[in-house]
Amino acid sequence: MRVDSVTKLDKLRNDYRKLIDTQKKRILVCLGPGCLAMGSDTILEEFKKVFSEKKVKDVTVESVKKTGCHGFCARGPLVVIEPDGIFYTKVKKIHVAEIVEKTLMNGEIIDKLLYIDPKSNKQIIDYKEIPFYAHQQRISLRNVGQIDPDNIGDYIANSGYAAMAKALTTMSPQEVIDEVSKSGLRGRGGAGFPTGRKWATCAKVESDTRYVICNGDEGDPGAFMDRCIMEGDPHSVIEGMIICAFAVGSREGYIYVREEYPLAVINLQTAIDAAREYGFLGENIMGSGLNFDIKISRGGGAFVCGESSALMKSVAGEVGEPRAKYVRSVVKGLRDQPTVLNNVESFATVPVILDKGSEWFASIGTKKSTGTKAFSLAGKINNTGLIEVPMGVTLREIIYDIGDGIPKGRKFKAVQTGGPSGGCLPEDKLDLPVDFDTLTEAGSMMGSGGMVIMDDQTCMVEVARYFLEFLVFESCGKCVPCREGLYQLYKLCTKICEGEATEDDIDLMEKLSKTIQIASLCGLGQSGPNPFVSTLQYFRDEYLAHIRDKKCPGGVCRKLITYKINDLCTGCLACIDVCPVKAITGKKKEKHVLDTDICDRCGACYAVCTFDAIDIE
Amino acid sequence: MIDIQLNGKMVKAEEGEMLLSIIRREGIDVPALCDHQAIEPCGSCRLCMVEISHRDWEGWKKHVTSCLYPAEDGLIVNTHTEQVLEIRRNILDLYLARCPNSKVIQKLAEEHGVYKTSFDKIPNADNCIMCYACTRICEVLGRSAISAVYRGHDKVIAPPFNEEPPDCIGCLSCAMICPTGVIPWSDENGVRTIWKKKFDLIVCEKCGKEIISRDFADYLIETRAIPEDYFKSCDDCKRIDLARKMGAIVLQAEEAKL
Amino acid sequence: MNYRLVVNPSLCTGCRTCELACAFYHTKDKKPGRSRIYPIAHAPDKFVPVTCLQCDDAACAKSCCFDALKRNETTGAIELNVEKCVKCRACVAACPFGCALIDEVHDEIIKCDLCGGSPACAAFCPTKALEYKKIEVKAASRQSA
Repeated sequence: MRVDSVTKLDKLRNDYRKLIDTQKKRILVCLGPGCLAMGSDTILEEFKKVFSEKKVKDVTVESVKKTGCHGFCARGPLVVIEPDGIFYTKVKKIHVAEIVEKTLMNGEIIDKLLYIDPKSNKQIIDYKEIPFYAHQQRISLRNVGQIDPDNIGDYIANSGYAAMAKALTTMSPQEVIDEVSKSGLRGRGGAGFPTGRKWATCAKVESDTRYVICNGDEGDPGAFMDRCIMEGDPHSVIEGMIICAFAVGSREGYIYVREEYPLAVINLQTAIDAAREYGFLGENIMGSGLNFDIKISRGGGAFVCGESSALMKSVAGEVGEPRAKYVRSVVKGLRDQPTVLNNVESFATVPVILDKGSEWFASIGTKKSTGTKAFSLAGKINNTGLIEVPMGVTLREIIYDIGDGIPKGRKFKAVQTGGPSGGCLPEDKLDLPVDFDTLTEAGSMMGSGGMVIMDDQTCMVEVARYFLEFLVFESCGKCVPCREGLYQLYKLCTKICEGEATEDDIDLMEKLSKTIQIASLCGLGQSGPNPFVSTLQYFRDEYLAHIRDKKCPGGVCRKLITYKINDLCTGCLACIDVCPVKAITGKKKEKHVLDTDICDRCGACYAVCTFDAIDIE
Repeated sequence: MIDIQLNGKMVKAEEGEMLLSIIRREGIDVPALCDHQAIEPCGSCRLCMVEISHRDWEGWKKHVTSCLYPAEDGLIVNTHTEQVLEIRRNILDLYLARCPNSKVIQKLAEEHGVYKTSFDKIPNADNCIMCYACTRICEVLGRSAISAVYRGHDKVIAPPFNEEPPDCIGCLSCAMICPTGVIPWSDENGVRTIWKKKFDLIVCEKCGKEIISRDFADYLIETRAIPEDYFKSCDDCKRIDLARKMGAIVLQAEEAKL
Repeated sequence: MNYRLVVNPSLCTGCRTCELACAFYHTKDKKPGRSRIYPIAHAPDKFVPVTCLQCDDAACAKSCCFDALKRNETTGAIELNVEKCVKCRACVAACPFGCALIDEVHDEIIKCDLCGGSPACAAFCPTKALEYKKIEVKAASRQSA
């Protein structure tokens, strides 16, 4: 059935809304990456099974929906019962029968599945009242966790494709570009280039062929925002791309998905097929004359293919190596044709901007960084998960108000943003607002949204070494500063971690870093030294401790730490059982003895001791 | 024609001409290991980096590879600033760690004041500088028999699956264009060996000297319309042949006059 | 009317001054280059100074896959651009007269370039067996009788 007019779309929306209203209650089972890994798909199946066997008032099997990432990954698997917002956490398959019996049939809340606020010690029923959610403003994530990604009806009922219809039937391409420009939207992939300006430049190039590409490569370790949008709300990306195609004049679009996201490919393809059926993709969309279709292009497992010129080579079937971008890809991109490349989150935000207006969007966030940004909170933080906040919110608010601070009573040490291209910021920088420019001035960058929190048991030199190892592995190898330079930087960093470096080595690394930053061919190399440069800037004392004192203050670098058993030891034999090199000896109920010469600092004893009897020095 | 400023002097250039060709035309020496006139520039060696600014940029500068940057009106180029020289020195320092035995690299490094590397020699160091000249020249011939494989530090130039490249014609262009001469090849007893593949060599009918690989000759016959019998003798014998033919004509003409 | 290097073998005495002049004209890095002209005896005491014929439909230029051989319209010579040359030796093999050569000393491929318009061989030839002059080129004959 082709929906080729606004009237038809309006009717369809009303039909779908009525259908949803007939379900007095909706049971949303989160199938986001975290919950899915914990078996939430079995919970979904169990619900379906129960409803096919039992008759429950107001609820049928259609009321049970799988959704994308609801956000609070630390508390998953999550089950949310709408419209009341009843939020059940750490749900297991065995709880399903109880949920049906007590909550759905009798309106009773199951206390043991509720979230308990650690500050007030009170249980909270409605998830919107939980600080983790209350501080957020979900715009690009508006549908993620709320709708079934496989159901285009859910998307349409939630105003999906209305913005596309408005743009294609009532606006000119230039008006669309102007609206996006006025909104102040900047590329959410990390570089923050003004999206409107990118589209305008591409549209001006004289060419018969133009491409629209969505960058779904998301290579930063610890980032999963784009994954959740592609898996949980694929239509938002498609709608954004159609609007872009209309604005710049393109017939062919590609969504480039990294090889490691097979579920995103499946959900996107399902959405593309559904969009085609309604005529939202294909010929003469909405009667506007626009012919546009989208293909999915899969990556081969290379971080460098997130770089725009390498990505375009990969889409064309060539080896993903970047090229010098003195002639920009908006002028000569895929197959040497003008190409718009935008991030998943950027495309997902475009429909809302057209729907609610550029003024509304520009009123959120800060003057130079309008709107909101999605982040994936990971690492040593209590509330790991997927969040979205207005630009300008401080790091402290994110880490403490939303993230609820550091677990196990440990101290905050650093927050790493922007993936391998970013940097680490220490405690005294926590009041900086998060936006495109402020963090960059401080020596880090906001990046695509990955945020990793580190506690005092982290070694900042090891963090630098980890990211350098990653970048050496992922470097394409074309240019010398990156291929050789990052390699040598990594080797020197390893030397520091092993206590074999001198202070001259730090000077050499600083000199080398400057050259790599200036002389590298692409962004991977140019930002490669950032993990080292930023940790050196704020944690120089740690570097010097490794060199001068041959000690690792974070207690991580194996060659520089010693394990000792203190007087809290009760002689329980647990560490003796688990030590792989038999470095610990002792009898039951007697303080055990650890031979530091045999010990290889694997940390197994530390992990297993429940009496705090192992010290790491 | 446009005007750009090069090391303080105004020079004329074509719009869109790469900076390196303008720099060379003005006689300024900027190293460029991966650059060769027979192939498109690729910017992998980074040695040709120069500092650029523009009269509209209010003093803001950036560094670009001159082999790939197109000239535009109002551009300001500086090829030997302290920072540019520092970059070249550091890159050569890295090259010395990668190619410790290459005379070409050592000479170039010495010219820039770098006599030994500050880093550890990399494991399995050979003299390949990954300039891609060999793969690019093979592409120009339309053969693409070899390419860069693997990623990052493990990247090497190799034929597909490290086996005999089916598209190689034994022309030796890759070995000849290599700036550090690392591609091994040999001509022995009428057989050429390169990339583990053996090629029959055409030998001179008259003196037996080795001329060209059979496959390369076939390629030239087919794609460049060279008659097949041009390849039957070597250049020395062809000159002698020409002398004899011409000489016979002259003698004939002299006898006709008499 | 074109400029051509006109060769009159009946005047050639085989003194080889042309060979010397050519080698010295093409000196590079203080080392003389290989000569591009060779007086060769075709009979006792009868010589022909063999050099590039700057063919109209040159096999060398056709065989070069890298565009390194191009005609200089002013001098009439087919010039080899050393910067474009890859040294693949296709031209050495393809030239029917063996006039594209390998210079081992300078590690280059070479051919006669008419010294940019004033050939040294002609300037030094004592018998005028070699002359660089304007002639009408008739269709079939390439020698002056």
